[in-house]
Amino acid sequence: MTGLSVPSWGGVAASLLLIALTAAVAYRQRLHLTRELITASLRAGAQLAAVGVLLLVIFAHTGLPGAFGWVTIMILLAGQVAGRRGTGLPRARWAATLGVAVGSLVTLATLLGLGIISTQARVVVPIGGMIVSGAMQAAGVALRRLREDAQQARPAIEARLCLGLPARDAFLPHQRSALRTALLPAIDSTKVVGLISLPGAMTGLILAGVDPLTAIRYQIVVMYMLLAATALAALTAARLVEHALFDHAHRLIPLPEPH
Amino acid sequence: MSTVPGFLLDRVTVTRGPTRLLDGVCARLPAGACTAVVGPSGAGKSTLLRLLNRLEDPSTGQILLNSTPLAELEVLALRRRVGLVAQQPVLLTNHVAEELRVGRAELTEHRIQHLLDLVGLPARFAQRRTSGLSGGEAQRVCLARTLAVEPEVLLLDEPTAALDAVTTAVITEAARNHTAAGGTVILVSHDLPLVRGIAEHVLVLHHGRLVAHGHPDHIDYLEAG
Repeated sequence: MTGLSVPSWGGVAASLLLIALTAAVAYRQRLHLTRELITASLRAGAQLAAVGVLLLVIFAHTGLPGAFGWVTIMILLAGQVAGRRGTGLPRARWAATLGVAVGSLVTLATLLGLGIISTQARVVVPIGGMIVSGAMQAAGVALRRLREDAQQARPAIEARLCLGLPARDAFLPHQRSALRTALLPAIDSTKVVGLISLPGAMTGLILAGVDPLTAIRYQIVVMYMLLAATALAALTAARLVEHALFDHAHRLIPLPEPH
Repeated sequence: MSTVPGFLLDRVTVTRGPTRLLDGVCARLPAGACTAVVGPSGAGKSTLLRLLNRLEDPSTGQILLNSTPLAELEVLALRRRVGLVAQQPVLLTNHVAEELRVGRAELTEHRIQHLLDLVGLPARFAQRRTSGLSGGEAQRVCLARTLAVEPEVLLLDEPTAALDAVTTAVITEAARNHTAAGGTVILVSHDLPLVRGIAEHVLVLHHGRLVAHGHPDHIDYLEAG
């Protein structure tokens, strides 16, 4: 490590000049975004300051239980956000929350259980955050696709049911399609990692003074863990929704019309 | 309990929200024959068909097949016994042979050729892409896909609507062959010549009620009524 180089509070204050510049552009161009821009910037600063203080307390006093408490809160929030993508599907928020929880906790437990990452709260919280975020996006995309298919592909699903196929088989092509849609962005970003942009974890480590060859070890683990979290979250959410979409007589339940 | 072959509808009502799609329908759809269900749009004809393979259940009343309530039969086995051909052909795969195997994966090449022959399509169609089929060809492939499962009962929901004469003739012939082989056909159609050509019994629905039933020779009178 070559030493930590982060902006001072004075530096942070000075960076507000960039916001002033952006606000000036927005004002001059009459974008009607100046107020929103300033609010967003101040809100981001306040949110991050609050999170920083909270993390400081967790890292210093609560240890691993506190870290897992934090990860649990993230999972619950992420489940709500991803569940909204499936609005109209039965039990969408429940499915999303459980999907994010399974994807996140299995991945995190594997990383911790195999000793790949340290059990320190300062490691578990940020790594947990990345995992939950990846799982949330995947569950959200999968649910949105499932909702679209369940609404629009009813004739095809019922055609399979009419041939005596069980609900699971009748819905399988749509579930596969939803999972592919959810997984492809993660696979694509894994393919081009480091080529198009330096990824977040690696960038953070390099900024913190870690040499690049060490930083990439972390990044490789991050990419692999995101793939696992994405796949598990999307699959779990999709399976749960599939169960809720069909009744005991293998019938697709009525759904609200697409807008 | 004596065995009554075929379907028996016992005071069947289907409500959806405030609407009564079927209202206290009592009817018998005999086995080994073709029964046509006619009536204006919105009369509840398609709903009636969907009840017979349990895509829907009655809100009240019950339906029996050979004296056994449908709800007591294993639903997946029931759907293999009671095949439905929908009004709009929906193709599920990329190739015709693959399409015929959706409900019966173990279908042999020989059987595929036979099924294509039954619906008046040449053997080379097995290799055709489903995306290039005309509406009539697609409907015939859907019929063959249903016949592949070897159902006892064939439910045909407006199978010839807006289709060519050849397809109509093929579907008529397939329905006749099915009843000749001891199977049952329930046909929903606006096509009166088709109904007269194959049905032995007609049910007339109006606003969800069974308003008349009888021999197809009376169909003009019944429709006008």
